[in-house]
Amino acid sequence: MTLPENERDYNALSDANFRCEVRAFIEQNYPQKLRFMLRRVKRDEIMEWWRALYLKGWIAPSWPVEYGGMGLNGGKMVIFIEELERYGVVASPDKGITHVGPTIMKFGTEAQKRFYLPRNASGEYIWCQGYSEPNAGSDLANLQTSALIDGENFVINGQKTWTSMAHDSTHMFVLVRTKKNTNKKQEGISFLLVDLASPGITIRPMRNIAGHQEFCEIFFDNVRVPVDALVGKLDDGWRVAKALLSFERLNIGSPRRSQYALRRLQMLAKAKGLFSDSGFVDKYATLTMDVEDLGSLYGRFVEQVKRGEPLGQDVSSLKIWGMETWQRLTELLIETGAEDGVGDGLQNIDDVEIDFLTTFYYARSATIYGGSSEIQRNIIAKYVLQLPS
Amino acid sequence: MSKSEAAVIGIEVEGTVAEQGMLRDSVTDFVRRLCDMSRVRRLRADGVDCDPSFWKRLADLGWLGILVPQAMGGLGLGLTEAAIVAEGLGAALIPEPFNAMGCMTTTALSACAPNELAQELLTRIVAGEQRVALAWQEEPGELDVNLSAMSVEHIGHEIRLNGIKRYVLAGKAAEGFLVSAVTAAGPELYWVPADAVGLQRDYTLLADGRHFGVLRLQDVAVPSRHRLARGEAARVALETARDYATVIAGAELMGLMKSALKMSLDYMRNREQFGKPIGSFQALQHRAVDLFIQQQLASAVLESALEALRNRPDAKQRAIIASRVKARCSDAALRIVRETIQIHGAMGFTDEFDAGLYLKRALVLSAWLGNAACHRRRYARYALGAQL
Repeated sequence: MTLPENERDYNALSDANFRCEVRAFIEQNYPQKLRFMLRRVKRDEIMEWWRALYLKGWIAPSWPVEYGGMGLNGGKMVIFIEELERYGVVASPDKGITHVGPTIMKFGTEAQKRFYLPRNASGEYIWCQGYSEPNAGSDLANLQTSALIDGENFVINGQKTWTSMAHDSTHMFVLVRTKKNTNKKQEGISFLLVDLASPGITIRPMRNIAGHQEFCEIFFDNVRVPVDALVGKLDDGWRVAKALLSFERLNIGSPRRSQYALRRLQMLAKAKGLFSDSGFVDKYATLTMDVEDLGSLYGRFVEQVKRGEPLGQDVSSLKIWGMETWQRLTELLIETGAEDGVGDGLQNIDDVEIDFLTTFYYARSATIYGGSSEIQRNIIAKYVLQLPS
Repeated sequence: MSKSEAAVIGIEVEGTVAEQGMLRDSVTDFVRRLCDMSRVRRLRADGVDCDPSFWKRLADLGWLGILVPQAMGGLGLGLTEAAIVAEGLGAALIPEPFNAMGCMTTTALSACAPNELAQELLTRIVAGEQRVALAWQEEPGELDVNLSAMSVEHIGHEIRLNGIKRYVLAGKAAEGFLVSAVTAAGPELYWVPADAVGLQRDYTLLADGRHFGVLRLQDVAVPSRHRLARGEAARVALETARDYATVIAGAELMGLMKSALKMSLDYMRNREQFGKPIGSFQALQHRAVDLFIQQQLASAVLESALEALRNRPDAKQRAIIASRVKARCSDAALRIVRETIQIHGAMGFTDEFDAGLYLKRALVLSAWLGNAACHRRRYARYALGAQL
């Protein structure tokens, strides 16, 4: 299996031409029925789109060309994402592209690169993230799932949880403890690649408050994986895991969710004639300005990426403000919906179709995943404001 | 087009990033050498809004003409540069009305060109020889320059003005006024010297010790050459001056909030209670982070506004941008100064400690030219107009 060759230098295109080309491709190929989807999509729903991107050579926009990516620089990458967002393209189960790929490129062996990268790109391998455990949430370094070397294998025992879409994935990248009683709990952790078909793995999907099977508990009972499943050095997995995060926090801080909720609110308010209600208009204007100002803050970090500068820890402020603004919007949506706002599923209000609750439910999780708002505040306090501990 | 070429035909051109950095440094240096809180307190105690010798120094640096095109005797720089100066002066709580006189009045006068009297006034203002305030507002929370109860009568070669102007921030320091009126033909702008017969000046004492001027014009007669602009030209002059000053007020608040937050963070690092620096307590850390986020948002909005204004948007778009800046900067600054008092505890509540000075200046700057609520309403009217 080989990736289509990407012989074009996309970075040499003007921003406008590149944007135009990306937009046209999305509009021609992205399935209408999946636009602006509120829940996570399943693998079989999204595979048609995945294949289209793959055949075009666009499935891994941020990967270097030598690995079959588009080799986009920060600025072009932002445009690519903006166009996906503009059209309401749902997030694919693409952790193999966004997380595993870059990790293997940076820390993996040649054999791992040759084996995994093409399979991740084609969608043959779909990845989920095995980080959190029942006693390792915000305190992630407290993880206890163990992997002991036994001959040619690691033997894994323990439990992971809150793993999004594990039941719809083929593989998992997982943080395990390979050494106990270290000085710091961040030491002695390793980064492993695990085939979810391995004997001894039990996956139990859980329903979230939106009623969707999104995250799972994973139980490891003497699961044997080959020693070459290790990425990076043994006991050095914390560093491997941490190397990924800043571009992700920028993406999480994008104003797209809030802009989408604001459009719904606008349609609803229009249908209900609320723009003559000064009380409502005050709230609406405040939130609209919150979203616009979020856009300014996001734009500033994007410019930083475009100039090729690394993002600092202050990007956490984007996630906090972005997610908390989104939450306020979903709350005002429900308030504005009044009695209709608590109806389950799609509600039709004067020909405007709105799913009040799903958006509201998912907004709850936004200040929890990817480092809770409290953890983000700790990060800013420590690294940006340099406050004592 | 080079900067000097552009200036000759009356277009301001912004300096390069390096030049802006140098300006920032010279503002910082100026403020460090000449301004300290004891001067701020002394002026407050004396009821002085503008120290003439200090004002002359601002003029000598060229800052009173920062927005005035070079062809009209100014530096011909842009709003970004004016914002840099205002931020530096705001950070040190300088009471002198750099914005009200050095930006707002001069913007209005520059827009009156070609006009001989306007040019004479500009020349004197830029040189620091005459202090002129723009008196346009009459009602609280009303930002529309097209509304005025000032009456204008033509009697022979004279024009007689009757009415009241309020909320003139530089009103006490001013030696003359640009007074607006609205007739059937639209807005008009007049030059009224401070010693004009029939002009009564009163002052309202403000939270920060400065004053709003109240001008009562009773049969004030001015020659017709004192009419600096009328109709569309006057409207453009007034609206541009109002919106630019609104953005610059945001920059001044920006400097102020940075100083206040820095003071709070320094205190959190050093003040010990329960055997530890209070900055190690998570409740206080998270409070500080929320203030930092507001400061970041405000500075991102200000930055994007200055960028957008560089492209000369239309009047409606300019008003929307100005409202976004003023609303966010006012809210952020007020929140930061209130929390600055809280973080400093009882000391923050004393008059001898500086936290109160920041609070009071923020109160005045946030209310002048429309507070956050007022600007959110204006934003709603303009930006959401089609839906309302």
